[in-house]
Amino acid sequence: MIIGDFGTSYTKLWDMSSSSGPRVIRSTDLGPDIRADYGTGHNAPLRADRVVNELVALATGARKRIRATDFLVLDCGSRDVKFVAFEKGKFERAGWNSECGSSMGFSIELLEMHFRLDYRSIPVPEEHLPVACGVLGMSAVFDAVSRGDEIEQAVAKFVKGIAVNAHRFAGCPGQVHLCGGLCDNPLFVKSIPAEVIPLGRFLLLEGLVEIVQREANPSTP
Amino acid sequence: MPPVGIIEKLADRGDEIVDLDATISRVDVEAEARLIPRYYCAILRTVLSNAMRLKLDEIYVDVGRGKCDGARHIKEILERELSIPVMETENDDRERRGNPICVSSLRLVEKVEKIVESVKQPGQLKGDFTQCKATCGFWGVPPRDFGLLELFPRETHVFGWTRCMENKTPADRELELFCDLSIPTVFFAQSFCAKNSIAYYLAHRHPRGFYVDGDFDISASTKAKVEAFLELSGVRASEVKG
Repeated sequence: MIIGDFGTSYTKLWDMSSSSGPRVIRSTDLGPDIRADYGTGHNAPLRADRVVNELVALATGARKRIRATDFLVLDCGSRDVKFVAFEKGKFERAGWNSECGSSMGFSIELLEMHFRLDYRSIPVPEEHLPVACGVLGMSAVFDAVSRGDEIEQAVAKFVKGIAVNAHRFAGCPGQVHLCGGLCDNPLFVKSIPAEVIPLGRFLLLEGLVEIVQREANPSTP
Repeated sequence: MPPVGIIEKLADRGDEIVDLDATISRVDVEAEARLIPRYYCAILRTVLSNAMRLKLDEIYVDVGRGKCDGARHIKEILERELSIPVMETENDDRERRGNPICVSSLRLVEKVEKIVESVKQPGQLKGDFTQCKATCGFWGVPPRDFGLLELFPRETHVFGWTRCMENKTPADRELELFCDLSIPTVFFAQSFCAKNSIAYYLAHRHPRGFYVDGDFDISASTKAKVEAFLELSGVRASEVKG
């Protein structure tokens, strides 16, 4: 059984019958014959026999991992931001910002490569740029540089702006369970104005595992 | 929807009635931008497009409490732009004619199609509709994009202004605000419509409410949110798209 989270920039693939863990592959490096039995993510309809709604995969993975009955899980990926909130163990609300918050993870990575930055060594700035989305935000970075900011400083303000924006999108929770590729970016994680509990980038895969098992044993609650 | 009395008068006269809310002609946003803003209610934009393109003898626009101020303004525009009579009506019909379709076991798309169709034939809304026990609810107006409705199971009861439409009482505020607090319910309004405030409010007061809006086409993320809401609220996947 192969499951996959087919994201815009990265694909997370896991052969559940193998002893090794999930693999992360650049989506542009995926061969045309790569397919999964169960898939989620933006490109899943092209690659998976059974496509699972991303919010459902996220919520299912989060419920498996998080013991609390009241929580919010925020998935910050390359292309979009989505969250699901539970209250007293029941679904409370969800959001998926695939248009206005688009390409935030992608543009954070793009700036890192373009300026050869290391986000592990950049401190969180006091201020942030008012960025609504990754693409529009990048021009704000260049404007800040033209006003005299160091490149690192301008990019850090941009990253913090994106983090603040994602936090607002989720309704400004006091605590955030964070998943997605940006979990590995310490500057982003520290820039979110809340208590952040990182859950790594495989939470949607964990949700898929749960769904596979549930569908194999439908009588199990 | 104009008052039943007017629709019946036109039908008795043998007129062919066209519902200008419905998707008949292609909406050309750029072409209409000379008359109305590019970002505007998709339903009223559709009304304008249809009215400008179809060969009509006269137009009735309901502008009363059962519709919206937007319709009043569109009526003013049509009156100035067209050379045919554009009549204003205020539908304050109070006779409740029931809502067998809203609580029937038809697919949600069929329910709403029949309700919309019944505007043109108010007297012919008969039929033996099998009722169903609701597992979820849809509150709101008929969406411009019926693709939204395909996400729901047959066991969906209809509330909001669509329910008022079936009852032929579009200005019935009490009925419009009614919803079933015991079932997960999606509250929908067309983007840019004043009903968004009440849809949003009711969704947040409902124990298991979920608010969405949609423009011409319902976006993939909105559809995914509705799917996830239904699934995570315990509406079984097998019931969906029934």
